[in-house]
Amino acid sequence: MARETFERQMQTILDQVLVLGSMVEQAVLEALDTLKRRDQTAARRIYEADLHINEKRYSIESGCITLIATQQPMARDVRFLAAILEIITELERIGDYAKGICKITQIISEEAIDPVLIDELQQMADQGLDMLRRALDAFVASDVETAREIPLEDARVDDLYNQIYRQLMEEMMADITTIDRANHIMWAAHNLERMSDRVTNICERIVYVATGEMKELDTEEGGNTGLN
Amino acid sequence: MTLKIRSSIAMENKAPAVVLPMDTASIPGTIQPVNENKIEIQDFSFYYGNFKALGNINMLVPANQIIAIIGPSGCGKSTFLRSINRMNDLVPNIHTEGQVCLNGEDILGQGVDVVDVRRRVGMVFQRPNPFPKSIYENVAYGPRLYGIGKSHGLDEIVYNALKQAALWDEVKDKLHQSAMALSGGQQQRLCIARALAVEPEVILMDEPASALDPVATLKIEELMQTLKETYTIIIVTHNMQQAARVSDFTAFMMIDNPQTRTGVLVEYGPTAQIFTNPKNKQTEDYVTGRFG
Repeated sequence: MARETFERQMQTILDQVLVLGSMVEQAVLEALDTLKRRDQTAARRIYEADLHINEKRYSIESGCITLIATQQPMARDVRFLAAILEIITELERIGDYAKGICKITQIISEEAIDPVLIDELQQMADQGLDMLRRALDAFVASDVETAREIPLEDARVDDLYNQIYRQLMEEMMADITTIDRANHIMWAAHNLERMSDRVTNICERIVYVATGEMKELDTEEGGNTGLN
Repeated sequence: MTLKIRSSIAMENKAPAVVLPMDTASIPGTIQPVNENKIEIQDFSFYYGNFKALGNINMLVPANQIIAIIGPSGCGKSTFLRSINRMNDLVPNIHTEGQVCLNGEDILGQGVDVVDVRRRVGMVFQRPNPFPKSIYENVAYGPRLYGIGKSHGLDEIVYNALKQAALWDEVKDKLHQSAMALSGGQQQRLCIARALAVEPEVILMDEPASALDPVATLKIEELMQTLKETYTIIIVTHNMQQAARVSDFTAFMMIDNPQTRTGVLVEYGPTAQIFTNPKNKQTEDYVTGRFG
């Protein structure tokens, strides 16, 4: 087969993207865990570990640029590398959302949070991360069909977000002393909601690599339900 | 004459019609071309004796555009290029089928003045091939054949050709020195000036930069961008990055199968499309370096 070295270099980059995906997934799960447990120490550690996510992203970006400059990729290859440049940006942003949740853990400190809310936040994270995992699998497998289907699941994340939003609004209206805390919880929910939007962007790039088609994917069969 | 235009595709706001081969013919959207077609090739086949070297090529070449022809060695790129100004006539025992029309007139037809065809369709070769004469005489050679002398403005023709070939400033003080003393890149631009001096409409370039260093190559490529304002350019190149850099449209050729070894046009489309999202798997494999 021609271009074995080049293909090996592309595979290395793809492997690193998957490593970045795992780092980000771990960060989101742990961030939410710090919020549940109010673990200030862990929150600070994860907050600082975001640096590693950023470094990994820059390292992959640098690898892509080197390959573009030295190997002159064409057609599917250039689409693949262009997609990776976009995907790692999305992953890094998801890492930033995890970092944001850790910041909220630090701000909220010991204040009580309704366990129902915590559960709903966990559901949002689980749904978003499941979408992310399957999106990265679809990227590896060049599975366009799955990449088109995943964004449709964003509606579930939006529903959970709307539910949390309504609950917090009610709390704030009933007791104005909760405004500050409720706002922060809402911000954590917003971060998780944005995470699944980023997954949709990743899916768009998967479709682009496979088909050359560059357009937004539908996130629902009807109109817009999100508050974003 | 009437050409069967199977499909047209748009490229930004200029949308010349191109005949697309085979499986790409279904691309929708017939758009009126901004540029008229300078060359129209219809069902063109070329034979060396019984060997069919090129098979049923259909292609429209819009005026004032650069068309790159790419493909593996031996697929008939140069044969195809040389058919466009009947350079292949010099090879014994060849024959052709189909039509190659320049401004609507079939240049393969009976009674066509071949010398005039080669004037209208100039050619630049892989290695610079200046005559062992002065710089001035190299450029003046063609016009002189047509009886143009100093009194008919030959100096002006030489000046214009050298100027258009971006060589004037480098040679204006040594016009009567031997062309053989010029660098390879300068010699190639001199050959371009020589082609321009007889006022062609089309310039064919067969790997014009393959013998040049990167700086001289870039000069030729920049020159092509200027020249396309006046001329239509068709370039054969093995350098895919060069095709991607310089051309508006790219044609990918390859042999149909190892037994018959007939060169066919596999895909023809806007260069941006061929190099980022080709429609044909063989084109994809070739431009990504996985075959050829």
